[in-house]
Amino acid sequence: MATERNQKENEARVKRKPLISIPAPVDSLLAGWAGLALWLLLLLLLALYPYTGVSSVALFVGSQIFVLVTLASNWNLIGGMTGYVDFGHAVFFGIGAYIMGILVTGSPLLISPEWGFWQALPASGVAAALFALLIGLPTLRLKGPYFSIAMLGTLVAMREVARVLRPITGGGVGLNLPPLLNRLGDYYLMLAVMGLVVSIIWWIQRSEFGQSLIAIREDEIGAEMRGINTTLHKIVAFMIAAFFTGTVGGFWAWQNTYIDPDVVFVEARTVEMVMMSMLGGLGTVWGPPLGAVVIYFLQDLLWGSLFGVHLVALGVLLVVIVLFMPEGILGTLGDRSSTSLGRLLSRVGRSK
Amino acid sequence: MTSDQQPLLEGHTISKYFGGLAAVNNVDFAIYRGEIVGLIGPNGSGKTTLFDCLSRLQNIDNGQVFFKGRDVTRARPYQVARMGLTRTFQSVRVYRKMTVLRNMLISHQWRDTSILRMLQPSHASTAARAHQLLDFLQIGHLADEEAGHLSGGQRRLLEIGMALMPDPDILLLDEATSGVNPTLIETIKDRIRTLNEQGKTFLLIEHNINFIADLCSRVYVLNYGEKLAEGTPQEILQNEAVIDAYFGA
Amino acid sequence: MDQLLQALVSGLLLGGFYAVMVLGFSVIWGVMGVINLAHGEFLMIGAYLAWGLSRLFGLDPFASLALIVPLMFLVGYLLQIVLINRIVERPHLMTLLVTFGVSIALANLFKILFDADPRNVAVAYNGSLQLAGVTFPIVKTIIFGAALLIMVCLHLFLQRSRLGKSIRAAAQNKTAARIVGVDINRVYAITAGICIALTAAAGAMLSPTQAIFPFMGPPFTLKAVTITALGGLGRIPGALMGGMVLGITEIFVSTYVAGIGTNLGVATSFVLLVLILIVRPQGIMGGLRPLEPEAE
Repeated sequence: MATERNQKENEARVKRKPLISIPAPVDSLLAGWAGLALWLLLLLLLALYPYTGVSSVALFVGSQIFVLVTLASNWNLIGGMTGYVDFGHAVFFGIGAYIMGILVTGSPLLISPEWGFWQALPASGVAAALFALLIGLPTLRLKGPYFSIAMLGTLVAMREVARVLRPITGGGVGLNLPPLLNRLGDYYLMLAVMGLVVSIIWWIQRSEFGQSLIAIREDEIGAEMRGINTTLHKIVAFMIAAFFTGTVGGFWAWQNTYIDPDVVFVEARTVEMVMMSMLGGLGTVWGPPLGAVVIYFLQDLLWGSLFGVHLVALGVLLVVIVLFMPEGILGTLGDRSSTSLGRLLSRVGRSK
Repeated sequence: MTSDQQPLLEGHTISKYFGGLAAVNNVDFAIYRGEIVGLIGPNGSGKTTLFDCLSRLQNIDNGQVFFKGRDVTRARPYQVARMGLTRTFQSVRVYRKMTVLRNMLISHQWRDTSILRMLQPSHASTAARAHQLLDFLQIGHLADEEAGHLSGGQRRLLEIGMALMPDPDILLLDEATSGVNPTLIETIKDRIRTLNEQGKTFLLIEHNINFIADLCSRVYVLNYGEKLAEGTPQEILQNEAVIDAYFGA
Repeated sequence: MDQLLQALVSGLLLGGFYAVMVLGFSVIWGVMGVINLAHGEFLMIGAYLAWGLSRLFGLDPFASLALIVPLMFLVGYLLQIVLINRIVERPHLMTLLVTFGVSIALANLFKILFDADPRNVAVAYNGSLQLAGVTFPIVKTIIFGAALLIMVCLHLFLQRSRLGKSIRAAAQNKTAARIVGVDINRVYAITAGICIALTAAAGAMLSPTQAIFPFMGPPFTLKAVTITALGGLGRIPGALMGGMVLGITEIFVSTYVAGIGTNLGVATSFVLLVLILIVRPQGIMGGLRPLEPEAE
């Protein structure tokens, strides 16, 4: 009884008329080659941007935004497209950061000789992807909320582990990385990573692989019965998302020059990823990047001056978005069928 | 009968328990290439559970399943699907938010499993095959419609189409006629017959006895998870035990 | 042998605390279908309240329960009306996202208010008793006693009182409960009040035994999930059993895994949780509602 009513409520909610309707569904237009062309054009403009003689602060801001876009897009691959809402994705960020920290400092463990940044960066990503393989094999078998909770558990447990493994991670004291300031280099590196990640997501979305991921999100048993190896698909998507998140984590550790368990294994970073994806439109290609930019400037303009308040606001905003705007910006403005949160909500673990 | 051949799909003493309850108990059967076989029984007699066991959505607690002579008792659902066993569901499983065509394409995506193929959009020839099948099922005009907008009967046809996409050897249809209007039932019946003439084997769960009587060469009857009887439709309809199970106390 | 006995006793004492800690979480889930990821934050608030009352008025943490429980009951009651009511019986994912947001907001709010520095509550009776070669820390023993007392009271309340029966009715069948004249929204608000108050009380009792800081919550939330998976939803005996299992497991890991075991509470609990969910997705006692196969 309750299920049926819920179902109807959800469907009614999803079908609710959009606030503003845009005749041509924006996202499906951009999902094609036009979208990729625009994206490459934007990348080109961003690559030329430093030549306009901007300050190093602007370059820093740029690289920060690129980091957020990359994280949001990655989270979207597993959380939005595949429908496995990962509450612990920051764990891959943390692992990437720690691998970077351990390799370039030699860590208390004394790896010698220390690695350079360029050797350590791919290692960060690979380590995160391997960890995703390890943790995904058990957790990706869990459905709906249990997966979310298990991943949150992974995050909190890894924070604990990082604190305990003092000889390797420096424990609660953390690791100090060699400070090497190169804002221009950072800018271009993250621009490249972001360009690559978003292009990959665009590519996946139109490939058979991506369509299979969406099929898994919409009906996993059906997908399996139609010959799709769901385990393999989920694991691969999870590993791709983890690889780039780990790479970004490694970069972040390098840029921040200091890591400890509480700054890299934080729930807030996961919330950030979830928020950016949801705000833009879960499961779309361009929604999460858009959401990331919006979130960055919101934080910067409204709360940046008050230390720490932005995290409170982040939590509150998450509540507000879920309650009032579950389809995100793209969904609220344009074609509802292009985003997936409403459908995920009605599908994943009906509450009774 | 072609009993001297090797069966296409064969079950030995299949049992499935839920808690202490045997949903399927010691069922033996054999289906040969080119047959249309019916599976009937009162509600709760274990028909769908048996389907789930055969298509590997449920683990089998005891017994073995052979498909094309290979032991698939422990196979994954996608593996038996790739080997050529596809099915439909009692409550239709189509992707309601996708177009009919997209639904068809999804059911075909594993056909060429090379990584290069997976990284590209579905091939035009696949779409052509999908259109051809949709036309055959008389829902070709709905190809660009969202599957959620289809009527119940059209969704059943679409699901049959999805099961046909990979060109399987055997189709397991779970109540293909329930909730379908009489005209469409005739269409479904006719299409099954045509497909059978083209060499497809069918196993049907049905409540519609006329449908079974018209199509099937043999029928298995389940009751309380056990095989109650087997034989031609005529034999089954006169079998006292079957009549008891259906109409008796 | 002594070490084993000591580990067992310590595990049981810890388990008693876990059992009372989990009640609020598991009852909200059982009655309203809301997985409260902000559970640990309410525990954190309770601990901070005990710390504040002890700093300002020199109140003993156990005495301060008399203030904390009614206050947090009110908080829970209001929270239910303002927020939780919107997500009752909604899809799990929605409740997860909303309560996750609440959790982040609360933890960071407390960080702004009180810094991230750990706080401690000192009590005079911080010693321990020796009994048959086994050490009983006084505070933990009191917590254990209080936990049992609270569970007996809650059990009697749910079984005997009219309100308690209404809550159980609402948990089992909302429609039927409504038909027989139960005011569901009021029952929910009271349930939330009780649960939040219970959780805060657990936090207050915990305050003399551990450092208090804004981000102490999530490990408790996770342990609550694990215990619920072990013991079932909204069942007091189940909570007790689940709490004991987790408490003993944790103490055994810290006793017998050399060196690093002491601080692996969450990791232990996490491994346990994933194992349970994979082996028995419906929980050990069948308490978690199985996620239906996603049929139409």
